[in-house]
Amino acid sequence: MFRAIAHDFREAFTGLARHLAMALSAASAVMVTLVLVSVLAIVVANVSQITRNIESDIQIYATIKDDVADDKVDALVQQVKTISGVTGVTFSSKDQELTKFIDSYGDDGKIFEIYRNDNPLKRALYIDVASGSLLSQVSGQIEAISGISKVDFGGTTVESFITVLNDVRFGGMVFVIALTVLAMFLISNTIKMTIYARNKEIGIMRQVGASNGYIRRPFVLEGIFIGLLGALVPIALTIVGYRYLYEALGGQLVSGMLSLLPVKPFAYQLSAILAAIGMTVGLIGSLFSVNRYLRWKR
Amino acid sequence: MVILENVYKTYRNGVNALNDVSLTIDDGEFVYVIGNTGSGKSTLIKLLDGEEIPSKGTVMVNDVNVGRLRFSKVPLYRRNIGVVFQDYRLLEYKTIYENVAYSLEVIGLPSLDIHRRVREVLDIVDLQDKARSFPNQLSGGQQQRATIARAIANKPKLLIADEPTGNLDPHKSNEIVELLEKINGTGTTVIMVTHSDYLVDKYRHRTIKLQEGHVVADMKEGGYMPDVQSHRP
Repeated sequence: MFRAIAHDFREAFTGLARHLAMALSAASAVMVTLVLVSVLAIVVANVSQITRNIESDIQIYATIKDDVADDKVDALVQQVKTISGVTGVTFSSKDQELTKFIDSYGDDGKIFEIYRNDNPLKRALYIDVASGSLLSQVSGQIEAISGISKVDFGGTTVESFITVLNDVRFGGMVFVIALTVLAMFLISNTIKMTIYARNKEIGIMRQVGASNGYIRRPFVLEGIFIGLLGALVPIALTIVGYRYLYEALGGQLVSGMLSLLPVKPFAYQLSAILAAIGMTVGLIGSLFSVNRYLRWKR
Repeated sequence: MVILENVYKTYRNGVNALNDVSLTIDDGEFVYVIGNTGSGKSTLIKLLDGEEIPSKGTVMVNDVNVGRLRFSKVPLYRRNIGVVFQDYRLLEYKTIYENVAYSLEVIGLPSLDIHRRVREVLDIVDLQDKARSFPNQLSGGQQQRATIARAIANKPKLLIADEPTGNLDPHKSNEIVELLEKINGTGTTVIMVTHSDYLVDKYRHRTIKLQEGHVVADMKEGGYMPDVQSHRP
């Protein structure tokens, strides 16, 4: 078993060494596409991160009519919870509302303490929603509940901003997938050429009794190595480039709410993904080609 | 034992390469197959080593129905036969030693046994001193002897040689045939395709003559045979 694996690796490396020019051209095809994949992936991942940040920050704010008795509030909360898309409801009493109001004015807010005993504010519910796109729909449903006086969320601007971000994320994802498929075509084509140059070799191998699997394994390993080779430069660019970008921007766009993904896990996770894409593409590309040329001669 | 029963072979381009060929070759025989270019000699070899499938009839080699083999089983079948080609078909990037060893590696023989057997067969074909050379560093005769070494490394019961002397001068041709006779002496069946009247006359063995896809002569005593002029199917 070990001897067989050692044999496959040895054959794969000799194959690489003896067809170095072709291997390098296949690897550079992978390289170019993976650089593009990396750039798009950085955009998509950060847009997702920003969308998530915004979504987690926005809540629907609903006030409760004063004529609802305190012991009926619980039922109201339960009713809101049953609306689909609602992930959490927090009740805030008149007193808590006033405290929040005062806090929002900082030190100057102390002046509003005079209202503590004759509080004009209404009791309120803070409602978390699963996704930004549900904001207006959920608000509408809450508004329809009797006992609710007013419903407010960041307004349609927030909602349309989130829609834009989601479109960017979706578009980027489509591009990443399209590029991966393209990389697969490129590499399988180049590997096809390297294997085509060796179809005579494959014929001889079958002639002297090598089973299809025995012939296939070194070729497939070779393809995986080519893919990995092609991923090295994009990985280096990703780590160095993203660190530079992150530091140049100070880790955020405009404000803290639009913060970028930290270099530490993200650039390395992306590198692992790039390596995986490279190797998968190499594996599939070489498998297709070698299978084709195995059939070249009976 | 090789048995062909009413074998026909028509290629996709419409060429009738073999017509109703029936043959029996016993274990341990040495047989020449002769005939002009286009007589069906090469097709006969391709049917025997599994490269082509008969259009009609059966090809049995050592109780294996060669025409019925699945694609993936063809190489496994070939481990039991040795084939020598006119164009050698050695792996260019492997040394002579590695070329012979490859046919033993593929059947998973332990490396010590491989080493021993490769030395043995290189000794038989007298190429011990060329073990580390690459095929393009060898003469035609030497390359042909290397392919014979590779073909017999698995101790096949049947050795097929397709014009093994086609690219060689008469002196080297004698060497090759004498080598094949030596291998035949150890009990291996040898089928040799040739168009050399000289060799067929000099080293007499059973001779089968093909003409336009038909067996037109099969002589136990061997020797040169003129074409049959009147034959038309």
